[in-house]
Amino acid sequence: MAGVWILAEYIEQSKELLNVGRELAGQVGVELAAWTWSADWADECLAHGADEVFLLPPLSADQGLDAYIPIIAEKARTIMPEVILVSSTLRGKELAARLAGRLDAGMASECQGLRWDGEKNSLLAERLLYGGAGVQTVSCLGRPQIATVPPRTYEVASRSEAKGGRLTEISGQPSSPVVILEHKSREHQTQDITRAKAVVCVGRGMENQQDLEKARELAGLIGGEVGCTRPIAEEMHWMPEDTCIGLSGKIIKPDLYIGLGVSGQIQHLIGTRDARIVCAVNTDENAPIFAGADYGIVGDINEILPMILEEIGAVKK
Amino acid sequence: MPNILCCYKWVIDEAYIRTGPAQALDMSVVDYKISDYDKNAIEEAMLLQEKFGGSVAAITIGRPDDTKGLKDALSRGPQKAYFVNDPSFENLEPAQTAAILADAITGRIEYDLILCGEGSSDLYAQQVGPRLAEKLGIPCISYAVSINIEGSRIKVERKTEEGLEVAAAPLPVLVTVAPDINTPRIPGLRDTLAASKKPVEEIGLTDLPGPYEARVQTVGIKAASLTRNGQKFSADKAGVKALVEALQKDGAL
Ligand SMILES: Cc1cc2nc3c(=O)[nH]c(=O)nc-3n(C[C@H](O)[C@H](O)[C@H](O)COP(=O)(O)OP(=O)(O)OC[C@H]3O[C@@H](n4cnc5c(N)ncnc54)[C@H](O)[C@@H]3O)c2cc1C
Ligand SMILES: Nc1ncnc2c1ncn2[C@@H]1O[C@H](COP(=O)(O)O)[C@@H](O)[C@H]1O
Repeated sequence: MAGVWILAEYIEQSKELLNVGRELAGQVGVELAAWTWSADWADECLAHGADEVFLLPPLSADQGLDAYIPIIAEKARTIMPEVILVSSTLRGKELAARLAGRLDAGMASECQGLRWDGEKNSLLAERLLYGGAGVQTVSCLGRPQIATVPPRTYEVASRSEAKGGRLTEISGQPSSPVVILEHKSREHQTQDITRAKAVVCVGRGMENQQDLEKARELAGLIGGEVGCTRPIAEEMHWMPEDTCIGLSGKIIKPDLYIGLGVSGQIQHLIGTRDARIVCAVNTDENAPIFAGADYGIVGDINEILPMILEEIGAVKK
Repeated sequence: MPNILCCYKWVIDEAYIRTGPAQALDMSVVDYKISDYDKNAIEEAMLLQEKFGGSVAAITIGRPDDTKGLKDALSRGPQKAYFVNDPSFENLEPAQTAAILADAITGRIEYDLILCGEGSSDLYAQQVGPRLAEKLGIPCISYAVSINIEGSRIKVERKTEEGLEVAAAPLPVLVTVAPDINTPRIPGLRDTLAASKKPVEEIGLTDLPGPYEARVQTVGIKAASLTRNGQKFSADKAGVKALVEALQKDGAL
């Protein structure tokens, strides 16, 4: 019987969860099962270490992911898995929380680390608290134990020698009172900011959208990407949301981060914690970004940024 | 004419949290605030009321002395507040919060639409809204960036990884709102004065069926260390030059 379940909206994230799921399943001494709704992805999951794949029936055009909740909950009630891991995309987070609600199960959200506590026989999860000021370790009580894991927290599982995992087709009608009328795609960043070796981050201290060009120029000089704070992505809509850095955005780990007009509230700063060098320009000497920076200049980006461009341009020549 | 209920949480303002000895969180000087995105939930309720009429109420679960939050919430427009309080309603985990909210609401509060923030500022678990919808057995739409009511159904634009999904569901519905949905108003003196005259209905533990057991246990909390030894350079050509030299020396360029 499968004891660790994984579920993700995208195959890449399924593979990441198969990686950590394999480890947990080994420690608990149970099987690892993956949920998916694509036959192709089912094969991929089997090739990346799943002992079993539950293949869901396809959704109709007007159904959303939540239409699977009744089917998955039903299966969870009969099998009672030890652990359910869900990749925390937006739809994934809602699905996980509703599953937890329906099953009256404990859930740890947005976990950065997962371990198995053999003594207590429970999942230990590490997650951020107070906007990132604190790290909380929680253990789930009861079964199943549900955790959501941000994309790219774990490496993808490596391809394993086919060892004959099972494919189980799940019957049942997906159903939800919510109908999807339309999908609208939005602009995406083609480069993955989490893998950039340098990041120039734009904050609300930048007054004109045209100045983004200068940030791009700087990013070009240092061989990096442009990222932004949440307000720049969501209030100003200057940049795609997948370039937002922080608690609700991406955790980045570049060699160099340069913050331009970024205040450095804790929810943002937590996203730059793993950068090797943090550098900031802000007019307010008391801006919290300076406490989290290796180097800082208290000044106006309108004046300082051109100087930085010139100076770095010179050394790069 | 929809009856709208907004759920807000009164939380520690994380900006006041310091790191104490041994990586402990130092909460000695903290202040409290309405959870940031719950302000967007309340604002959205008010905007919907302006358009469609009906009523707006706020509900919160907290300790008996969390009364400052009531005034703040009511100054943002709602006509009434429900204050579900007990000394034990502290550090609740999302499963408990959702269960208490569901019991407080059921049979007591009429609603067509329940609004929550996408996540609370302290836990940011993003669970209470969806869990509450499950407990009440109503549809749930999360991460909304726009809401429209069309007769007896709601139409919501919600965020997804690819962009937006336009979703519709029959009322009553629970919606969690993303901060991009609106810009919360800043209450003025008049609003604050008006708030103190608005009715607050208290609901205690004895009014609820209970008990509310945690499904998740906190094993430990430590401070995340984010501080670096910030070295400042002057805001002129010489400063910028020194900065670039430092970056070069670090091999960061
Ligand atoms: C639950 C939750 C999750 C969140 N998640 C995230 C997240 O993932 N990422 C994120 O970024 N935020 C997040 N936030 C928001 C975060 O708290 C801050 O509000 C946000 O990071 C501030 O963005 P900002 O620095 O661009 O803007 P502001 O805070 O407005 O700062 C602008 C800064 O620019 C400076 N400035 C102004 N003019 C100039 C100039 N000419 N030159 C130089 N400096 C100038 C100002 O001094 C100020 O410090 C979250 C909040 C909550 C509650
Ligand atoms: N104690 C509470 N009282 C009322 N509403 C709450 C409470 N805690 C959380 N909520 C609501 O649930 C949302 C999500 O909270 P969370 O699951 O903790 O991230 C918040 O934005 C609020 O709308």
